[in-house]
Amino acid sequence: MAVEALRLDGVTRRFGAVTALHGASLVVAPGEFVTLLGPSGCGKTTLLNLVAGFQTPDEGEIFLGGESVTRVPVWKRDIGMVFQSYALFPHMNVAENVAYGLRARGMPKVEAMGRVAEALRMVRLSGLEDRRPRQLSGGQQQRAALARALVIRPRILLLDEPFSALDRALRGGLQVEVREIQRAAGVATLFVTHDQHEALAMSDRIAVMSGGRIHQVGTPEEVYARPADRFVAGFVGDATVLRGRLRGLMGGTAGIEVGQAVLEADAAPLRGLSQGAPVDAFLRPETLSPGGPALLSGEVRSVVFQGGHVDVHLACAEAAGGRAVARLAPMLASGLAAGSVLELAGPSRCAAFPAEEPA
Amino acid sequence: MAGEKSTALGQGAPGLLRGLALPAWLCGLAFAAALLAVFQYALRAHVPGELEPGGFTLQNFVAQAHPLYIGVFWDTLLLCAGTAILSLLAGYPLAWAILRTRSRLARSMILAIVITPLFLGEIVRTYGWIVVLGNSGFLNAALAWLGLGRAEMLFTTGGVLAALVHVTLPIVVIMLAAGLAHIEPELERAAQSLGATPARGFFTVTLPLSLPGILAAGTTAFAWTFSAFATPQLVGGGKVNMISNLVYQLGFASFNFPFAAALAVSGLALTAVSLAALSLVTRRVEQRL
Ligand SMILES: Nc1ncnc2c1ncn2[C@@H]1O[C@H](COP(=O)(O)OP(=O)(O)OP(=O)(O)O)[C@@H](O)[C@H]1O
Ligand SMILES: [Mg+2]
Repeated sequence: MAVEALRLDGVTRRFGAVTALHGASLVVAPGEFVTLLGPSGCGKTTLLNLVAGFQTPDEGEIFLGGESVTRVPVWKRDIGMVFQSYALFPHMNVAENVAYGLRARGMPKVEAMGRVAEALRMVRLSGLEDRRPRQLSGGQQQRAALARALVIRPRILLLDEPFSALDRALRGGLQVEVREIQRAAGVATLFVTHDQHEALAMSDRIAVMSGGRIHQVGTPEEVYARPADRFVAGFVGDATVLRGRLRGLMGGTAGIEVGQAVLEADAAPLRGLSQGAPVDAFLRPETLSPGGPALLSGEVRSVVFQGGHVDVHLACAEAAGGRAVARLAPMLASGLAAGSVLELAGPSRCAAFPAEEPA
Repeated sequence: MAGEKSTALGQGAPGLLRGLALPAWLCGLAFAAALLAVFQYALRAHVPGELEPGGFTLQNFVAQAHPLYIGVFWDTLLLCAGTAILSLLAGYPLAWAILRTRSRLARSMILAIVITPLFLGEIVRTYGWIVVLGNSGFLNAALAWLGLGRAEMLFTTGGVLAALVHVTLPIVVIMLAAGLAHIEPELERAAQSLGATPARGFFTVTLPLSLPGILAAGTTAFAWTFSAFATPQLVGGGKVNMISNLVYQLGFASFNFPFAAALAVSGLALTAVSLAALSLVTRRVEQRL
């Protein structure tokens, strides 16, 4: 395999008393699309700025294509960056904007224009070369910014919440499109979002962050089905949290008693706990189904039709926060109304972590 | 169109607007009358020994074709242009620092130093410059201490220029900062991410986008300096003259009001022509942005 496109080794960045990033390590393979996902202020932009070179780390090393760039200035790093506001140059037309990076590298005009035309074809903006950025729609501006970043054939493409300025309807289409363009260009990509749906939909792998730390790096399936800790389990996807007891550990699997039921869970997060210790089981809404044996029951608060499925919210005394949510097929939820009592059977397997405070 | 608009406005807030319209008209009339008085003086003959001018004549304008007066007009234009350019050169980095510095303290310090002269009044500032530039002033004392001898600075064009720049700088900095505030900081970062050195990013992105602000500030500095009086009068000491000093000498030393009025009218016309030319350039630039 070729060398990794990007490698961060224990990168720390402080702003005075605030540590925006604690010893972050991450590898992005060539052509891979990796997303930084986390709540506001968790250090996503800081990490991206460190890779771009707008900031230098207080500790740790950054490598692009195997070469240390920790002390290399932004303009020598060969990165492609798409900003939240796109940052298209308003006094240049689309072609001049896209040609900017090539001209800065001293490429002759004729050759540059050939590359520009090719890049504009790739993002389907051919024919709009002479437009000024303000004469483009939001989605077109986004694609122009993408073409400008890709035309220089960067070692890594950096995208900081590129969809946040667009309305919902436009986002879905552009997510698919950006991913197709990225795949066609074969460029390693680091993408920042705080939207878990966006992260799950687009990424090869997701790095889940909070408080300046990377909690877990994994494929969307891994992060969703096998969260490494409580934070990831709570942040990615919805979950109903039930208090249970550790029954025992067997190899990689733990047995959890919740009420009368016994559930299986990944043992890794529970190692070191003694038998009978309190644990919290995280249940995904689509793993709950009406019927018995009942794992939990509650009064229906609201039934939210989502098109392909229905989210049923229950008031449930045994769940953390007194709330539970189940995702049912519309057929199964047809008879439900607020006020009725619903019994739900659980999955055989879930994610479980040591209880936050003793029961 | 304009008529429709004004009726619409009149209907919207009839009482208040009509109430304000009368004082506005009165003020306008007073200004127009003062200007008209200057115009009619300019077109009448000077009667030596009399304050009241004589009959109609164009002689006051014809007489301005003398090399002496043309020289003063030319010097005035050069001083205005020089002041505008120098205060832009000094003001641009200051405006930039005010906008982009992270430290609040630094921002407040720069603002205080730049803006304070605005509240000092022209006379106080000008005497300040006499103290700095004079033969035994601060600068010459410093030069002497360094063993570099003395330099003639007071009553020179250079000295007047320095003082004029000081007078103009606050307005230029404020106007430039207002113009530069519209430039997104992300644009400079985008240029660097695309491989441009900070210098290249400045000349290809920041500077072109600052042009409207630079032209507006430069135009204002130019027009502002045209009417300077106390600074060239005191720092120039009669050796460096601008139109306003000439008008003052003719009007209040020789009591030749008609000729003074004619010079003032010519100065006004020259300002108007210069401003028209500058605004033409500005419009061209803004169309390209
Ligand atoms: N220039 C700075 N000076 C001081 N503190 C900063 C600076 N930049 C970031 N921080 C702090 O570092 C932390 C991480 O900020 P960062 O911008 O990386 O978060 P983020 O994950 O991008 O958040 P968001 O989703 O809101 O954009 C925050 O606590 C922030 O206040
Ligand atoms: Mg951010």
